[in-house]
Amino acid sequence: MYEINICHLYPDLLNLYGDYGNIQALVRRLEWRGINVQVHPVSIGDPFVPDRYDIVFIGGGQDFEQDILHKDLLTLKKKPLIEAVENGTVFLCICGGYQLMGQYYRFSDGTEIECLGAMNHWTIGHEKRLTGNLVFRIEGLKQQPDGLVVGFENHSGKTYLGDGVSPLGKVVYGHGNNGEDGYEGARYKNVFCSYSHGSLLPKNPALTDELITIALKKKYPDFVSLQPLNDRIETLARESMIKRLIKP
Amino acid sequence: MRGLINKILFYSALFLGKIMIHLLRITGYGGTSLPGKLAMAVCPDILRILAAKYRIIMVTGTNGKTTTSRIIEQILAENQIKYVSNKSGANLVSGLTTTLISDVRLNGSPSSPTALLEVDEAAFRAASKHVHPAVLVVTNFFRDQLDRYGELYHTVEAVRDGIRSNPDTTLILNGDDSLCASLGRNVKNPVIYYGMDKLPDNEEENGRHDNSDASYCLWCKTRYVYLYHIYSHLGYYKCPECGYERPEPLVHVARIPAMTSEFSTAVINTPSGSFQAHINLPGLYNIYNALAAVTFAEVLGFSHEKTIKALARFESGFGRMETIPLDEKNIQVILIKNPTGLSQVLKYLTTVEKKSVICFMINDKLADGTDISWLYDVDFESLKNMQDRISRIFVSGTRAEDMAVRLKYAGIYTDSITIEKNNHIMLNSAVNLLNAGETLYILPTYTALLEIRKLLKKRFKLKNFWQ
Repeated sequence: MYEINICHLYPDLLNLYGDYGNIQALVRRLEWRGINVQVHPVSIGDPFVPDRYDIVFIGGGQDFEQDILHKDLLTLKKKPLIEAVENGTVFLCICGGYQLMGQYYRFSDGTEIECLGAMNHWTIGHEKRLTGNLVFRIEGLKQQPDGLVVGFENHSGKTYLGDGVSPLGKVVYGHGNNGEDGYEGARYKNVFCSYSHGSLLPKNPALTDELITIALKKKYPDFVSLQPLNDRIETLARESMIKRLIKP
Repeated sequence: MRGLINKILFYSALFLGKIMIHLLRITGYGGTSLPGKLAMAVCPDILRILAAKYRIIMVTGTNGKTTTSRIIEQILAENQIKYVSNKSGANLVSGLTTTLISDVRLNGSPSSPTALLEVDEAAFRAASKHVHPAVLVVTNFFRDQLDRYGELYHTVEAVRDGIRSNPDTTLILNGDDSLCASLGRNVKNPVIYYGMDKLPDNEEENGRHDNSDASYCLWCKTRYVYLYHIYSHLGYYKCPECGYERPEPLVHVARIPAMTSEFSTAVINTPSGSFQAHINLPGLYNIYNALAAVTFAEVLGFSHEKTIKALARFESGFGRMETIPLDEKNIQVILIKNPTGLSQVLKYLTTVEKKSVICFMINDKLADGTDISWLYDVDFESLKNMQDRISRIFVSGTRAEDMAVRLKYAGIYTDSITIEKNNHIMLNSAVNLLNAGETLYILPTYTALLEIRKLLKKRFKLKNFWQ
C-alpha cells in the first residue's frame, strides 16, 4: 500500500491565510484514493530529516512570527532543506514561505534579511501591497487543459526570478510575482512556489493531484496514475471566479 | 473673530447633520455614518467638541464589541442612567459623530450625559484623538480580515498608541488574552483585568486551530507555557523567559454551572462578593462578553442585584444571535467575521440537541473582507460529529461555491450541501425543511447580514436596525 508523508514546516508560526487548507486538500485527496497519509509538524528546535518526507509545505506568516523562526531556519534547517530540494522532494511554498526559499528579502529602507538560498530568486519590499484575486495559467497541467489556477494574493514584497528558476505560471488576472513581468510563482526541480493562497489547493484539484503524482512517482517507480475523483464542487468554485474576473 | 467662525461652523455642521439623520430615517435608509461624515467636512473639530460634553464609555477589540455594549446598555438602564449609544454598529469615527449629533440638542447641550460608544479596533487610534473616554473596555484581539486590518500585531500597537493619548482613562482588559492584557503594561492608567478560572471540563484541545494567533511572547518572542486554555489563545499563559504572565484578574468566572443552547449560568467573583448570574445568550464567548460588562459595573460600583437583572434581560444586538420566532419554528441569525468567532459559533451549534438547518452566507465585498481564505482557519471539522442532526446545509452569497468546497474538505457529505444563491428560495426551502421546535441557523458575513436582514424584515416585520 502506498504511503505519503507530509512535513508541515513551522505550523505554529507560518499559518496565515488558510494555509491549513493546502495540507487538508493533500490529505483528503490521498485518503479518498485509499493512500495512507501522515502529516508531521516540524517547528523550532525540531530536526528536519530530508528522506523522511515526500511533500514539504511552507506557508506564510506575520512579520512578528517570521522573525521568530529566522534563526532556526538558517541554522538547524538550512542544510537538510536544501538537500531535500536537490533530491527532488516535492515542496509547496506559499507567500512568506516562497520568499524564504530565495536568496534574500530587502526592505524598502535597504536592510536585508538573508533567506534559505535554496532557489535563485529574491524579494524587494514595497510600501504598496499587491492584494486581490489572482488567476494564472500553468502550462501542461494534466487533468485540466486550460491550466487556469485561481487564488488570492496579499504581499508587499515583489519577487524576481534569476537563472535556473522558471515561473510557475503566467498572470491572467492580478499582479503575481511583482506586477511587472507578468509571471507568477516559481518552479525549481520539484519545488512549487506561489503567492496564491485562498487556499490554493482545495479549489485547484488538478494542481493538487500534480503534486501528489510527482511525489508518488518518485517514491514508487511502479506507480502509474491517480484514480479520478468527482470534482464537481471544486470545479464550480474555480469556474465561478474565472467567469467573474475574466471577460470572455 | 476666529472663535465666532468656529462657533458658526460647529452649529452649521450640527444642524446639517441633524437634518441628514432625519432625512435618511424617513426615507428608510437609517443613515448611520453619512451625517457624521458630512458634519466633519463642515467642522473637522465637531467630534472633539461634542465628545467633551459627555461622559464616554468605549468598547473596542476584535470580537464581542456589540454584545458587550448591549449588556452594558442594559446595566446602565437598570441603574436608571440615561445614555446614548451607537446601537446601529456604525463604529468608525463618522459613526461616532453621527451618534453624538443625534443626541445633542440644537443649542449644543447633550440630552443624555453618558455616551456608550463601540469603536472598531482599527479606528480606535483615530477616534482617541477626538474622544477621551472615562472607561475603555477591550474585549480581545484575534486575527481578523487580513486584507482590511493588516497584521494583528499592528492592530494591537495602534490601540496601544491610542491609549497613550488617554492616560486618565480607566482600562478594563481581558487578562486571559496576552495581547489585550499587554495594553495594561507600562501605562499610568488605572487598569482592571477580568478572566476565567480553569474550567473542569476544559481539557487541552487538539492543538490545530488553538492558540495560533499568539503562541509566542509579545515582549521576548519565547513560546508561552499555558497552565490552561479557555479557547484559541485565551487562557493562563506564562512566558518562561521574561516572566510576562496572565495578570491576576479582579473579576473572574469561578464556575459555569450550566451551558445550554439558550443560555449559560456563571458564578462570578468580584472584590465586592460573589454571585451567580443567568446570561441571556449561549456560548462560551458570550460569558466573556458578560464578564467584561460585569467588570464595568463593578468599576462604577453598581449593585450586583441590578447587574444580575441586566445579564438576564439584555437583548442581543443586530444579527448577534438574534432570534426570530415563526409559529413553532425559529430562525437565528449569527454574524460571522473571523476564524475564532466562527469556530466558537460552530462549537455552540454542536450543543444544539434538536435537528437543525444551517445556512452559511459568504460574501467577499469590501466590508466582509475580499479574501475568503480565513474559512480554512475555521474549525468546520467540528460539524462532522453532528452531521446526523443537520437536515441540510445551504451555502449562499458571492462565495457560496468556495464555502461548499471548504465543507467538503472538512469531511461533510456533499449530498447534504445545497448551493443556492437566491436568498428568497434559500429561505423558503430552509424554513420548509424545519419541523416544529427546530431552528434555522443563518450565519452571514457582514454584507450578507444586511441582505438577509432586509429580507427577514420584509417577511417578518422586524424592527429597523438602528432602533
